Amino acid sequence: MSQPLVSLEHVGIAFSTHLRFGAQRYWALEDVSLTLNPGDRLGLIGRNGAGKSTLLRTIAGILTPDRGRIRRATVSCQLLSLSLGFLPHLSGRDNAVLSGLMLGLQYRDIVRRLPAILDFSELGDFFDEPISTYSTGMTSRLGFSVAMQVEPDILLIDEILSVGDAEFKEKSGRALHDRMHSGTTVVFVSHDEKAIARVCSRALWLDHGRDAMYGGVDEVLAAYERDPDVSAVGAAKHE
Amino acid sequence: MKLHILELIFFSTYAELRAERARSYLGLIWWLLEPAMQMATYYFVFAVVTHTSTPDFIPFLLIGLVAWQWFKSSVTHGGLAIWYNLPLIRQVKLPAAVFPSVQILADTIKFAFILALLLVVLWCTGYPPNGAYVALIPVLIIEFLFASAMAYLFASLVPLLPDLRFVIDQVLVVAMFLSGVVFSTASIPSPWREILALNPMVGLIDSLRGILMHGQWPDWLALARLCAVSIALYLIALLLIARLTPRYVKRAA
Repeated sequence: MSQPLVSLEHVGIAFSTHLRFGAQRYWALEDVSLTLNPGDRLGLIGRNGAGKSTLLRTIAGILTPDRGRIRRATVSCQLLSLSLGFLPHLSGRDNAVLSGLMLGLQYRDIVRRLPAILDFSELGDFFDEPISTYSTGMTSRLGFSVAMQVEPDILLIDEILSVGDAEFKEKSGRALHDRMHSGTTVVFVSHDEKAIARVCSRALWLDHGRDAMYGGVDEVLAAYERDPDVSAVGAAKHE
Repeated sequence: MKLHILELIFFSTYAELRAERARSYLGLIWWLLEPAMQMATYYFVFAVVTHTSTPDFIPFLLIGLVAWQWFKSSVTHGGLAIWYNLPLIRQVKLPAAVFPSVQILADTIKFAFILALLLVVLWCTGYPPNGAYVALIPVLIIEFLFASAMAYLFASLVPLLPDLRFVIDQVLVVAMFLSGVVFSTASIPSPWREILALNPMVGLIDSLRGILMHGQWPDWLALARLCAVSIALYLIALLLIARLTPRYVKRAA
């Protein structure tokens, strides 16, 4: 039995709601426990505002618990963010370097990966132009190509990030799928239950900041779909 | 500190300086034009309008303004840096001190250009280089530490008390007049002069003037004291940022 990479014990996270003296605190996470083992592919499901993104950012180490305890092995843990820290006046090449540094790569490593980024993003000569001249699709292609270069021990994904036109969407979706099935530990947030079923081995159902259910993906998804609240909302609104 | 964090600071500084070039028509020329315009304004007010100028008023004013400008821009830019980058801090795990450090470094590089110009102006107007120039190195390092400490201090508090933003500029205007930038603190009567001297910038600017105008060595004991105070403040402010970082991400957006 290997050591867990991350374990949360009754973790709660509170945000302040207003910039006022004596403002109330809002508990985005009330009480969540989970254990993440190497190679786990964990899906987080739950309705809007259930605390999925908050939990993801807690696992990433961006948020620290206000109660409960989080234990983490010495592993790198990266929330997949596209176009992180991009600056409009910089060239695509410089933005790739800047974003890569923020995502935890060393300068030497990013420079070595620049040809792969250029190739994957299909930017051609635009790579050395300021990204303020890019279309939205070009910027997100660059953002995705950079993010794919980061190889953390734990990959955290908030919604499937397929970007660009139909062709690039297919290509980026495939790259992400390959990445998630390459043995990396993954925590994946999505409203798309099919995507969770396809990708994940385990699932955690979050309800109002609490872990309603934690177990095998089929079992949790089945219970989630049976929940009267969820099925009523699911029929009315699909995101 | 991890290598990629250090690399991030340097690369972001480069990006920041590139931004200045991209954001205006005259670009880098503004680095020199802006302080030159400021010097002309103060010269007009103090030498022409109020006649309160001391002998050697022009070099006296130039040195004070150049030293002050570096301090002021580091504190204003660095002081807002964490607040300004809160969206980024919510997305990725980075030491928050990175952001003010980038601003301070960018302002320090700009200062280096302005200092070079100042030296040329001084040499051309009858203040040639002298042996005491060696002492510029410790004096400037201490000013860097003190300015960084003040920038980090504001930077650590502004995200939690955004109202401080409106205070920084006013505090700095008052601080400029109390730092002997435009008039000599030597002309101030006794109890006040000693109180003003508690402000480290007074001693630093005086030392710079002594070195550049009169070839005078600084008061090493006073300088050592300033150095100790600056290092202490610097470490306290960095510690404060580290301690407060978990709160920045949870503050109401």
